[in-house]
Amino acid sequence: MSLRSNLFHVVVIACALRGSRISLADLPRMTFYGYTCICVGVRPSWLPMTFENLFFPMISLISQKRIFQWAGVVTAALVSGITLGLAATPGGDEPKPVPVAVPVAVVDSDESDFQEQVQPLLQKYCTRCHNEDVTKSGVRVDQLTPNPTDRQLFLWQAIQKQVDDGAMPPHEEPQFTAAEKTSLNTWISAAIAAGRARDTKKNGSVRRLTVSQYRNTLKSLLGLEEDLTDPLPPDGTSKEGFSNQSQSMVLSPLQIEAYFDIAEKAIGLSLVEEDALPVIQNFRMDLGTAINPHPCPDNLVLGANNFLLSNPDVLVTELQPEKPFAYKSFSMRTEYEFIEGYVGNDTIRAWKKFNSIYHSVFACMRGTPGYPKGQAFQVVPQGLLLRPAIPSPEIFGQSDTYGPMANFKISLRELPDQGNFRVTVRAARYDDALLLEPGLPLAEPGPKVVVTAAQSAASPDVTVTVTEAGIYQLDVYRLPAVAAGPFSVTMDDRQFAGALPEIKPIAAGDAGKPDTPLVGDDAAATAQGSALLLLRLSAGEHKLTARLGDPARFHRLVLTRRDDESEAAKRFRLFEQRIPSIGVYVGLRRDCGSTLTPVGQPRPIEPGGLQEYVFSGAINDFPSPDVEKDNVNYLAGIREIGVRSEYTDGRDMPRLLVRSVEFEGPYYETWPPASHQQIFPASAAGQDPAMQARASLRSFMTRAYRRPVTAEEEESVFAVWKNSYSVHGDRRQSMADAMLVVLTSPQFLFLIENSPSPEPEDLDPFELASKLSYFLWNGPPDARLLERAAANTLHASLDEEIDRMIRDPQFAQFVSEFTSQWLSLDKFDVVAIDAKRYPRLTRDTKTQLRQEPVQFLQYLIQQNLPLRNLVKSDFIVANEVVASYYNLASGTESGFRFVAIPHAQENLGGVLTQAGILAGLSDGRESNPIKRGAWVARKIVAEPPDDPPPNVPQLPQDDGSQLTLREKLERHRDQPGCAKCHAGIDPWGLPFEAFDASGQLKAAGIAATGSTLPDGAQVNDMNGLKAYLATERIDQVAFSFMKHLACYAIGRSLTYNEFQSLREQGKTLRSNDYRMHDMLRFVIKSDMFLKK
Amino acid sequence: MVSSIRLDRRAVLKGLAGVSLSLPLLEAMGKEVAEKTPRRFCAMYTANGMSLPNPSHGIDDWSWFPKQEGRDFEFGKSTEPLSPFREKVSFLGGLHHPNGTKADPHLCSDMWLTGAPLHNPKPGTFNSVALDQVVAQHTKQYCRQPSLVLSIDAGVGFLSRTGTISYNLEGKPIPAENNPRRVFDRLFRGDRSSLALQREQLKRRIKLVDAVLDNAKLLEKQLGQSDREKMDQYLTSLDEIEARLIASEKWIDIPLKAQDFSHLNLEANSEGEPHEYYRNMFDLIALAFDADITRSVAFMLNREDGMGVSDTFPVKLGLNRTHHSLSHADDKDGQLAFAKYDLFLSQQLAHFLGQLQQYQDVDGSVLDNTIVLFGSGASTTHNPTNLPTLIAGGSNMGLQHGTHWRKPNTPLSNLYLSILHSMKIEENSFSDSTGVLQDSIFTKV
Repeated sequence: MSLRSNLFHVVVIACALRGSRISLADLPRMTFYGYTCICVGVRPSWLPMTFENLFFPMISLISQKRIFQWAGVVTAALVSGITLGLAATPGGDEPKPVPVAVPVAVVDSDESDFQEQVQPLLQKYCTRCHNEDVTKSGVRVDQLTPNPTDRQLFLWQAIQKQVDDGAMPPHEEPQFTAAEKTSLNTWISAAIAAGRARDTKKNGSVRRLTVSQYRNTLKSLLGLEEDLTDPLPPDGTSKEGFSNQSQSMVLSPLQIEAYFDIAEKAIGLSLVEEDALPVIQNFRMDLGTAINPHPCPDNLVLGANNFLLSNPDVLVTELQPEKPFAYKSFSMRTEYEFIEGYVGNDTIRAWKKFNSIYHSVFACMRGTPGYPKGQAFQVVPQGLLLRPAIPSPEIFGQSDTYGPMANFKISLRELPDQGNFRVTVRAARYDDALLLEPGLPLAEPGPKVVVTAAQSAASPDVTVTVTEAGIYQLDVYRLPAVAAGPFSVTMDDRQFAGALPEIKPIAAGDAGKPDTPLVGDDAAATAQGSALLLLRLSAGEHKLTARLGDPARFHRLVLTRRDDESEAAKRFRLFEQRIPSIGVYVGLRRDCGSTLTPVGQPRPIEPGGLQEYVFSGAINDFPSPDVEKDNVNYLAGIREIGVRSEYTDGRDMPRLLVRSVEFEGPYYETWPPASHQQIFPASAAGQDPAMQARASLRSFMTRAYRRPVTAEEEESVFAVWKNSYSVHGDRRQSMADAMLVVLTSPQFLFLIENSPSPEPEDLDPFELASKLSYFLWNGPPDARLLERAAANTLHASLDEEIDRMIRDPQFAQFVSEFTSQWLSLDKFDVVAIDAKRYPRLTRDTKTQLRQEPVQFLQYLIQQNLPLRNLVKSDFIVANEVVASYYNLASGTESGFRFVAIPHAQENLGGVLTQAGILAGLSDGRESNPIKRGAWVARKIVAEPPDDPPPNVPQLPQDDGSQLTLREKLERHRDQPGCAKCHAGIDPWGLPFEAFDASGQLKAAGIAATGSTLPDGAQVNDMNGLKAYLATERIDQVAFSFMKHLACYAIGRSLTYNEFQSLREQGKTLRSNDYRMHDMLRFVIKSDMFLKK
Repeated sequence: MVSSIRLDRRAVLKGLAGVSLSLPLLEAMGKEVAEKTPRRFCAMYTANGMSLPNPSHGIDDWSWFPKQEGRDFEFGKSTEPLSPFREKVSFLGGLHHPNGTKADPHLCSDMWLTGAPLHNPKPGTFNSVALDQVVAQHTKQYCRQPSLVLSIDAGVGFLSRTGTISYNLEGKPIPAENNPRRVFDRLFRGDRSSLALQREQLKRRIKLVDAVLDNAKLLEKQLGQSDREKMDQYLTSLDEIEARLIASEKWIDIPLKAQDFSHLNLEANSEGEPHEYYRNMFDLIALAFDADITRSVAFMLNREDGMGVSDTFPVKLGLNRTHHSLSHADDKDGQLAFAKYDLFLSQQLAHFLGQLQQYQDVDGSVLDNTIVLFGSGASTTHNPTNLPTLIAGGSNMGLQHGTHWRKPNTPLSNLYLSILHSMKIEENSFSDSTGVLQDSIFTKV
């Protein structure tokens, strides 16, 4: 490092240091123009690093104010170009000089100015409310010094603004004179300028992995599917809302203990006993009408609100999967003796024996009974048909909590204790008919085929001949006195069931007609029709069977070909193209509340016939009942595998046909598993154990530490292996011990940027690789990043790597983590929505809305769109659930996939009006302009309000008064000391008042939600606010985005200098509309990120 | 100079690791030194609620809750056996779990000690940590066993008909023990082979922690002056863990306190006489507290909804109906019989308090240093409000007894937080607590 060219503004004082373990605080200091100067040694670079070779420049301070001489300057000039500060010496146990160099700038404004002019003003006007004892707004001015630290610069700037704006002192207090104001202002400006001229020291950084980073790292390192991080305490959150900030991270013994326990478990899962045969459980349940030739003879019961499928319709087979290795098959236990059980809902207590696999594995439907249209499920010869599972509204007292209506589940007594599993569902889209709503018009014109009751009575199957292929409507005619009720129609091998609606009699006189059998044609005149369904028929003969209670009780069925251009045909074509999504769940049986937890994402059904859909997970990531094996209750310890046709918004779609569900677990591709082979490669079998261990450990440590390991590090871990091996000679155990040390060492747990000096230095290539990957992937660097680091080409290929990383699927981990924390989406996670008031905001809808801001941001970045879209966009990024919530259901047929949907609704577009944001910033009942205003100030324009003073009382939960929330807020706000801060918050929140606590536009609309913003601008409503932010205030929005991005990227708050540089230099991106991808790149390529 | 202190302490620990160590010396090693008088917690659950007879039956004096509030309350007929402990017990009324009113009422024992939202479980879990386990987290380093989990039926039962009231940090049920002999053997007759295994595991951990320390020091050297704070936190934490492990290992060698076991009948079991069973279980808890084997106990006295052997206890006592059906009774005879079962439970509880009173700590009786929580998850059956709750003991932790305190609609978790704070466990919240109980029997919260 060379001396800076502006040497005359930099005063470096030196002294010697001896011995190690000296912290900055212990260094000799002297006060110099009010600056505390830390003394530093200077050594010519050609001299060896010894204490004697340090220069000790002499210092003499002459005169009072701005005149000084410094002999050291001469010395320094002589050795210019030499190394300032000391390079780190190689390790060793000897005490060694420690490199320290802190350049300190001297400012023009000096101590005496501060003492004579500034301090008296502060004392006169400010100190009374901002001192050690009274700390209004958390601000103290009594500690301010003439030579502000980086942190204090933020405060000085705030003071300047408050005084400038006339916000401080408060109006009722004595005010500054104009001269005083100018004097203060001038001094602060000078002090800030001087502060900025100073170098920001950079001393590297040490951050530990966040819980999610740790989880991702462990997963990638050991190939573990299972999430073991539960015992870790959650990460703390910084002022900016991020959990990866070094200042808010603490380590406690509890945490380190958890690291030990998790590592032990993880290693136990990834290393196996090679010689032991794995035990694999594999069975399949087939479904279909009368599929089981030997059904269980017992009447099966599984507690309240479980509807078991008929025994003949269910067939369970235990299988032996084909594997490239030897294994043992797990046989499910079928003999049980229970003393506690149920008959219906009554508890019984008597020993009873059971012996059948159908007392171990059950086929159930669960969920609120009934379905709005048709039947929730139907067993047909080809399998089980499922309509979309409608989520339970979960309103207490009104609906139950047994899960959606309706869902299929396999209930069973035994699943593996650990390992990964696979659920394979054979399923297809059913060649379905579209059930019509009651009261739709009959199909009048068009070619018809009529089946009369007489025909139907003569033979259960009536053969009908369709001359023209196409879409047909089926109408049923009956006499007025024939009641509504269930009907079913079978067309060849397709079955449709529903309910006939009530029909109104044509004439008053007909209402009382006796229900006589149909004879002759007289009845034809009085029979009334109901439109039943639409279906596609091929030309030719079809077999039709119809049931309406009693088959003789309809008058006739009429099939009418609908014109291809008719509304009905259009509707049907849309219907038949829709694709159901299949979801698989694992949980446990309980009386109350569903525990079924999704296994991965729902999958859309592929076109064509039956196909296999594989869902996989780690068994211990799902609820398990944890009961002892010999529990004596029939219902104890029942586990569940759920299968659903997923519900989006209730649009009609063909039913999901489920033919079979197969379970296999623990699931191994190979034996021993890959995680084991990585440590004990087959190629090394028979090798000397120590050699093999050393090689494995070196490779494992390199991946775990994300960099080459030093010889000492390798030796230290190998010593653990040796020690352990010498005690018991067990290769697996010794390796596990050594790996445990690696996984609990700081080299693995910490992200380290090692800085030998306080001057900014380039990150080393491996540090850069990790910094990039933990930023853009929230996980460890991949092989390519590490290769580039090893070849030292990473810095040079930075642009290429950034592009690649953003395109990689792991980028979603960044977007999810960053967006959630930046926009405080956790508030939406925890808000308790009043289900009675906002029935549309169900748990499932909430889950999808929670995704919206994340998907939106991902779209903006990956498309490199201008930032203005963040606040105002003419599209939303939504799936069917989200689009439907905004009444844009017709805009998409994407299922659960998020896509960009154009809209023409003024109240949509941008994050400000996303329901997840609006609802999260409410109390679940009423909107809250203060929460929303503070959110805009903090997150969108980066003008955070001060923290509330500590003595402000919380809003009383229920003080018995009849005030509305708004009145309570006003009362709260009117308290002395609150008004000032709220002036910077509430105006941002007022335009939000058009939206209720569920994020929907209130009935009153956006009228009367205008506001005068803290900067004086007037906006009429939310649209005005969005337009203003997207145009006039776009610099500020861009700054806020980049500030948050930078904080997250570097894992700490910005220094004053970084803050100001970002504000200034960030504006260069304006010319290209502040494109999202560009801003990401800008942050990565800044000194904040690349220097340490 | 934090680091040098750390090194010194570490050297001390290393030096001690090989030699036998007396307890006072061990205590002098860390913050444990401040802990002289143990602070203990015991939770006892009874299912199906208590008898709160319909006023029209004219048997109000059999109501479990005293009629009067405040210090002038009088014990009812079913709680009369507790009257000798008037200044050591208090009735608490008006408490409930807000989540309890939303969930299936059969879940009330699952959530009694956790307050978890079982109607809306967090994905992947189904309960949250129980109070006794939070206590155990903070007391385990001072005693041999973190906690003792007991129940009328061994094991965990199953969800919504739980057989244990204790759930670990991850919300998983902790299997309970129910056999007095097994409990006695485990607590007071630790068998040699399991001790040897325990010691071996501890030794392995200590070695590994040592190796991690060595590894960390290698890093520390490379780091030079880079941000040291995190490393210091890490090393300090590691030291603390090592100290705890060494302390645990030492416990194995420290002889148990000499105690009189002659009153125990280890043949008692849950299939026999109910009072014989309860008394022996209570005696075992009292002995475990006296010897400072554990400072956290949870005991589920009987089970919800007609599950398990305890349902038949009232019948064994001559009360004609089973426990669950008594709790559903709305006729006068039934409600009176139910109250008589409450009387039986009060007698057992009084015996327990007597035992705790009889044993002495350095400062006061064991009862004065133990907070006993006794209660149910339903007031009468399936009604999860106004939960019958009694607190006993803990005078040395600032509890002022002899009152019937009542505040409607107070979260039970606020009581739990008050218990934690009284035990100097400074958690910010417990489950859905909204604060501590104000103006109640807790004076040091």
